[in-house]
Amino acid sequence: MTVLKQLPKGAGRGVAFVVLVLALALAFALAEPRFLTHASLSGIARHMAANGLAALGLTFVVIVRKFDLSIAGVAAFTGMSMGAVIAAGYPLWLAIVVGIMLGAAIGGLSGFAISKAGFPDIVTTIAIGSVCAGMAFLYTGGRSIFQNFFQSGITDLNDARFLGISVSLWFLLLTYGIAWLVMHRTRTGLAFYATGENPTAAHFSGIATRKFIGSAYVICAIFTVLAVLLILAESGNAETNKGANLMMPAYAGVFLGAAIMGGTSVISTFAGILLITMLLDGFSLMGVPYYYSDGVVSLILLLGVIAFSDTIRTWAGGFKLFTSKTKRTGSVSGGQA
Amino acid sequence: MTMIYSTNSFHKDRSRPLAARVAKVTIDLWLAATLVILTLAISSMRPQLLDVSNIAALLKTFSIMVTMVLGLTWVIAAGKIDVSFMQIAALSNMICASLAGYGWGWAILASLGVGLVVGLVNGWLVAFLRLPSLIVTISVAGICASAAAALGKGTVIRIADVGPVGWLLNTTLWGAVPVVAIPVLAVGALAWYMQERLAIGRYIYAMAQNEAAVRGVGVPVGRLTMLLFGLSGLSSAIAGVLLAANLSSGQPMIGGPYLINGLTVVLLGAMMVRIGKPNILGTMTATLFLGVLFSGAALLGLPDYQRQIIQGVLLALGLGVAAVASRHHGANKRGH
Amino acid sequence: MTQPVLTATGISKRFGPVLALRDVAFHVERGEIHALLGINGAGKSTFIKILSGMIQKDTGSIRIAGQEVDLRSPKDSIRAGIATVQQHPELVHDMNGLDNIFLGRESRRPGLFGRVDRKAMQSRAEALLARFSVPLDLAREVGSMAAVEREAVAILQALADDDIKVLILDEPTSTLTDVEREDLFELMNQLRAQGISIIYITHQLEEVFAIADSFSVFRGGTCVARMSVADAKASDVSLATMMLGEAIGDIFPPKADPDSAGEVVLKVSGLASASKFSGISFQARKNEILGIFGLVGSGCEELAKAIFGVEALDRGEIEVNGKAVAPKTPRDALDAGIFLVPGDRRTEGLALDRPAVFNVPMANLRRAAGGGWALRGRSVRADSKSLTEQVALHPPSLSTPASGFSGGNQQKIVLAKGLYTQADVYIFVEPTIGVDIGARAKIYGLMRELSETAAVIVISSDCDEVFGVADRTIAMHKGRQVEPGSGVFNRDALLFAGIMGERKQ
Repeated sequence: MTVLKQLPKGAGRGVAFVVLVLALALAFALAEPRFLTHASLSGIARHMAANGLAALGLTFVVIVRKFDLSIAGVAAFTGMSMGAVIAAGYPLWLAIVVGIMLGAAIGGLSGFAISKAGFPDIVTTIAIGSVCAGMAFLYTGGRSIFQNFFQSGITDLNDARFLGISVSLWFLLLTYGIAWLVMHRTRTGLAFYATGENPTAAHFSGIATRKFIGSAYVICAIFTVLAVLLILAESGNAETNKGANLMMPAYAGVFLGAAIMGGTSVISTFAGILLITMLLDGFSLMGVPYYYSDGVVSLILLLGVIAFSDTIRTWAGGFKLFTSKTKRTGSVSGGQA
Repeated sequence: MTMIYSTNSFHKDRSRPLAARVAKVTIDLWLAATLVILTLAISSMRPQLLDVSNIAALLKTFSIMVTMVLGLTWVIAAGKIDVSFMQIAALSNMICASLAGYGWGWAILASLGVGLVVGLVNGWLVAFLRLPSLIVTISVAGICASAAAALGKGTVIRIADVGPVGWLLNTTLWGAVPVVAIPVLAVGALAWYMQERLAIGRYIYAMAQNEAAVRGVGVPVGRLTMLLFGLSGLSSAIAGVLLAANLSSGQPMIGGPYLINGLTVVLLGAMMVRIGKPNILGTMTATLFLGVLFSGAALLGLPDYQRQIIQGVLLALGLGVAAVASRHHGANKRGH
Repeated sequence: MTQPVLTATGISKRFGPVLALRDVAFHVERGEIHALLGINGAGKSTFIKILSGMIQKDTGSIRIAGQEVDLRSPKDSIRAGIATVQQHPELVHDMNGLDNIFLGRESRRPGLFGRVDRKAMQSRAEALLARFSVPLDLAREVGSMAAVEREAVAILQALADDDIKVLILDEPTSTLTDVEREDLFELMNQLRAQGISIIYITHQLEEVFAIADSFSVFRGGTCVARMSVADAKASDVSLATMMLGEAIGDIFPPKADPDSAGEVVLKVSGLASASKFSGISFQARKNEILGIFGLVGSGCEELAKAIFGVEALDRGEIEVNGKAVAPKTPRDALDAGIFLVPGDRRTEGLALDRPAVFNVPMANLRRAAGGGWALRGRSVRADSKSLTEQVALHPPSLSTPASGFSGGNQQKIVLAKGLYTQADVYIFVEPTIGVDIGARAKIYGLMRELSETAAVIVISSDCDEVFGVADRTIAMHKGRQVEPGSGVFNRDALLFAGIMGERKQ
């Protein structure tokens, strides 16, 4: 039994999720027998690693009831920065450190503007993301960076295996494990959740809410850097549009997972991102053109959110005793300016 | 009795001294003043800025941009967000391009119809399923972008004849004013009138502050929300049609950059007239401001990505002003 | 009397397995103020929601002036002549009073694009104000208005529709000061004189005798009594007994023995903050409850927040158990052993969507983690269980979200959260706003229990509450501390000190 137990009927939702995954796997396996081959599954694992890291970062921001739309811009800029460091002949670890430091600085800036200066989250992160996307062009004016990539060993992050499973997936499982422990088994996690539920009450309870909101953005940016690092490792070069495909799966993973599991948590994000990655890879294996992928993810997200929305549940499930009329504090729709 | 008795003090605007009213107008219109200064400064360095042909080009992009964000302005003013507008424009752009060969009438009708319907769906999901507007419109944006790309199998669709819409864009009065600017300004003026003088304008701003209060007095808030998102979809779909004629093609990827552009003009526009609140006049002024800035930047030889950085910084600055203004406002309120 | 303006007969309403209303019979005469009494859960708010069209009855009939009406929506109710002012009126704070009153009912010029006619609205407003002579500046933004002015705006908004016969006021006085309450009663008297009937919901029983002509008591989902106030006065019945269905004693716990006051726990001297208050000095001891009485705006809530580190303090010293402390944040105050039960529990006290087991440990995560970093889930659960039992949370559920509890039980969760911090000083601000009489007695009893191990300070704008629960009192008036009389413990002196700012001679 845990303090942060999201839902008393959590088990039912877990079963529903497993059934969903199995049904999806079966459907793809029937439609395209190659789906269950080792190559395909390890592809899913690798893609899940990049998407999963970005989604995990976003989870922290969503838990404090904010949004971060700078993921694509941060990924572009830090990806190019890491590429530039590698191309200049510096070792891989230095590139990673530079990337993480830049990410932390950008996340810190967003976090400061939003938590301390009271800027609206959605538009602030769009602005910062836009500046970052522009700055990604500073190094090469937009040309791809690939020098030194193979010598640096970055591609090993993609190719190396441990116990037959790619290291990127191990890394993903490790980060999710740590994040789960922190968010659901420590007082830091409780403070993150309290901040999101009601920042005023959390402040009155002696929780440094601004610190937690600010660090959520820093964490999100750092995980975005790690995600784009895996993408660079897979493709063997850095381009300004490398991070563009991180944002949608991250949002879809977090919100689809939350819809299925009945609340945002590390586990719900894992569930969401697993489903999304299976869908994306399954469709691409079936030869569905690339331009459908965002549409498919979006559609799944929308359908998921609709299917699990309170209103639909009320309509479908009939009657709820004392329908709660409480206004949500801190509207998620984002009142601007 | 603790309260002050005065029944007729709502005639306050009449009694306000002239100097105060002048000061208020100055504060209200500072962005317009900055626009004039910016124009003078750039044109002193690059006189081409005020060439007749450059003005015509400026007004053309202005017209398209204003059309794109007219509806968005009200959506944000009502306390919601729509990040699907640019992809609705892209979808309408592609529909228009693929149907233009069968006659412009049908192409326009289909494009606008789809834009309106997608907008209404956005509104319905937000208003009646109570879903967060960001999540709904992010998803709808993704779906529209995919649909747009799918229409052209991932590539551009060329248009042979740009038809009457092309005439609107490419014919100029006195060489400087494209015909399209006239209906756009007229619609802008009408929207301004609705926002300032009709009850709907009050409801929009009241909704952002306290939706329950507006619902409580019997205003059909749900239908109003649907209408606002529908208008946003419709207006960006019109912009999509204009873009198709302007570029003689349907471009599936055209939406992306307009997200930042659109939000920047709406939020920069919120820095004037109704301080801290998006409004039509502000949006139009900010669009012109950004147009002059970009045109000037191009004339000064700044590369594309630097303009993007400038724009992001401008957006952040606008936000900063809004945050300070609202805090000041809040402090005033708490004073009582 | 002629026929009643509103008659309800045989009203029943079922929510799933729960019969919320059972065969209610109720009526209101024309031009009377009718109080509606009952503890939380007695069914009065369900009944009011039916009258205002927010929910539909299962059975029964409602007649307005003899005509049967079908109330399917709030609009139907307004059309039938029933207007409702909610407990917390929803107003648009950055619009002025005039625009709020006519929101949704703007006067328009004729035509398709008929613009809003401000002049017509102003004359409508003047007509309204002339009818009731409400002292109100309608050009001001509602956000800058006092609570009673907002209430007046909400009432005028409700009356802006023509032909309102019945006005329902849901606990309008819960956020008002004593003086403001008089202003509201004045307005209610005028409405009555105009022939408008008022259904008035309140937890404050003395208000029934002050303003109402008659009252109905709800208990267990039905209307158990209807009486005129005159009869009630004559027969000397106990309203509290009628509401609870059994005789209850005094809701306040016995006073402490004046000689048994323990050591000083909290000592403040010369506290001052900007324009809010200055020169505040007092001591709080174990084994006694210190009461601070002050109207809204007297600075006493700000004082509590300053001691708790929420608001800034300019001057003065605070000592807890002899050690000087200077809390800059609630964290500092909690570390120093001070806990604040805030006045606005919904925004300042609770994560409403979360159950007790989440809320209780929130203010002492260090204890929840056993001094380390990892949470001790089992002990948190056990502590939450025993603390919610101690405060008699009803229903005793650890997994129901806080929003699912009544006001009094929400306050009990806040109290359990305070107990979990094991503080040395407990400061209660307006502890029983929106709390029914049964829960009030329990909360006062808990304060007395707490005072055995900690200093307890009760800050309230309800003079009777301060007088009833405290062993020693001070008053605050316009930011100054006023000692009510020299050693004489007397309610009138306290009231006088708080309202006039001087000692009663």
